[in-house]
Amino acid sequence: MSEQFDLADRRLSGGKGIDTEELTGKTFPYQFDRSLVDDVDLHAATPGEDINWLEDIELMTEDGVNAVFDRYTNAFLKIYFEIPAGRENEYARKVLVKHLQEGNSYGIWLKHKHAKFAQPELGSWLAGSATVGANWTPPELAGWQKPDH
Amino acid sequence: MEQVSAAPQGGRYDIRGLAEPDATAPKNAVVSGSTAEFDAAELSTRQVNLELRRLVYGEGVTEVTVHNPGAKHSLSVGLLARCRVRIDGSLGYFGCGLIDGPEIHVTGRVGWSVAENMMSGVVVVDKNAGSLTGAALRGGDLVIRGHVGARTGIDQKGGTIVVGGNAGTLTGFMMQRGRQIICGDAGNGMGDSMYDGAIYVGGKVASLGVDCVEAELTETDREFIDRKCAIYRLDQPATFRKFVCGKKLWNYDNLEPNERKLVL
Repeated sequence: MSEQFDLADRRLSGGKGIDTEELTGKTFPYQFDRSLVDDVDLHAATPGEDINWLEDIELMTEDGVNAVFDRYTNAFLKIYFEIPAGRENEYARKVLVKHLQEGNSYGIWLKHKHAKFAQPELGSWLAGSATVGANWTPPELAGWQKPDH
Repeated sequence: MEQVSAAPQGGRYDIRGLAEPDATAPKNAVVSGSTAEFDAAELSTRQVNLELRRLVYGEGVTEVTVHNPGAKHSLSVGLLARCRVRIDGSLGYFGCGLIDGPEIHVTGRVGWSVAENMMSGVVVVDKNAGSLTGAALRGGDLVIRGHVGARTGIDQKGGTIVVGGNAGTLTGFMMQRGRQIICGDAGNGMGDSMYDGAIYVGGKVASLGVDCVEAELTETDREFIDRKCAIYRLDQPATFRKFVCGKKLWNYDNLEPNERKLVL
């Protein structure tokens, strides 16, 4: 379970392409070290008898760098380590699952603040995940007063 | 500000849009270890969904059977955890929508838009499904053993839809990604305005929609069809034809990068 990201030093470039590093202000070790994702079990991490939703996940490129698309953030996560030929999609999937299971997906992280209903934070990737959204309150505009009618 | 307050015209109002803001889980399930079952006959839609979430999120139950669903709409929606749910009967509209992780088996029929916006998981329906089956599907497997209505997989963005029987008109309408396996026949306008993805048809195709063309069936395609039919124990016809986007309508190069991400 991840701690909430510290976004104090984050600087958004305002560019059209927003990737995970820009949104979170940081990179993650498994983007650089292949050995950190080697033991990810894709079948165990997905429902059903095959790899289910990961069938749609393929290695892509962003800014000329290998990347996997994180649909929960709507952004690319770059992969900097060397990928053996023929195993491109496998490693893209493993990096993505590791990213999700460690709670580092920016879109999932936003649940802490914006989820309106109680739900598991990391959903289908991690059994016993923490609950978020149980105490959501509507945002209030400073100085706003409820009308009488 | 409170989430729930008195509405000006009487009753209760929930700022999140809940139709029954004061509903609570009925706690009528019989729980045995990691399995549970309950009767939905006298419960409202929201009570059924609250009971499912209480069991899966709160009680650590991983297998739930729901008896007497009564073809209610919007049952078993929004489940965001790995679990197995058996719906012992039929569902109305929008059943099993917005899920991420569950494996759901419906023993009866389903109405419009079953498994719409599913992110991951498996939904198997033993009988027929209405129109808009798997609308905007993002991932996972949706299996209909019977026939399906019109616009199956409309705006599909991923995942796999498998139909044991026939599919109605405009199957794969505006499909953007993912795969469909139709073991029977497909109606008029199949694949109309599809941008990507593949539709495999075992029977006859009444007519193709705009910019949908036939493609060569590869060994990879064959392995995929065989695997899915074996997993779900579906009889498949001897041959399949593959249909894809003709790419005449592609305008991605002119779109901003973020537009491109909408279809990933």
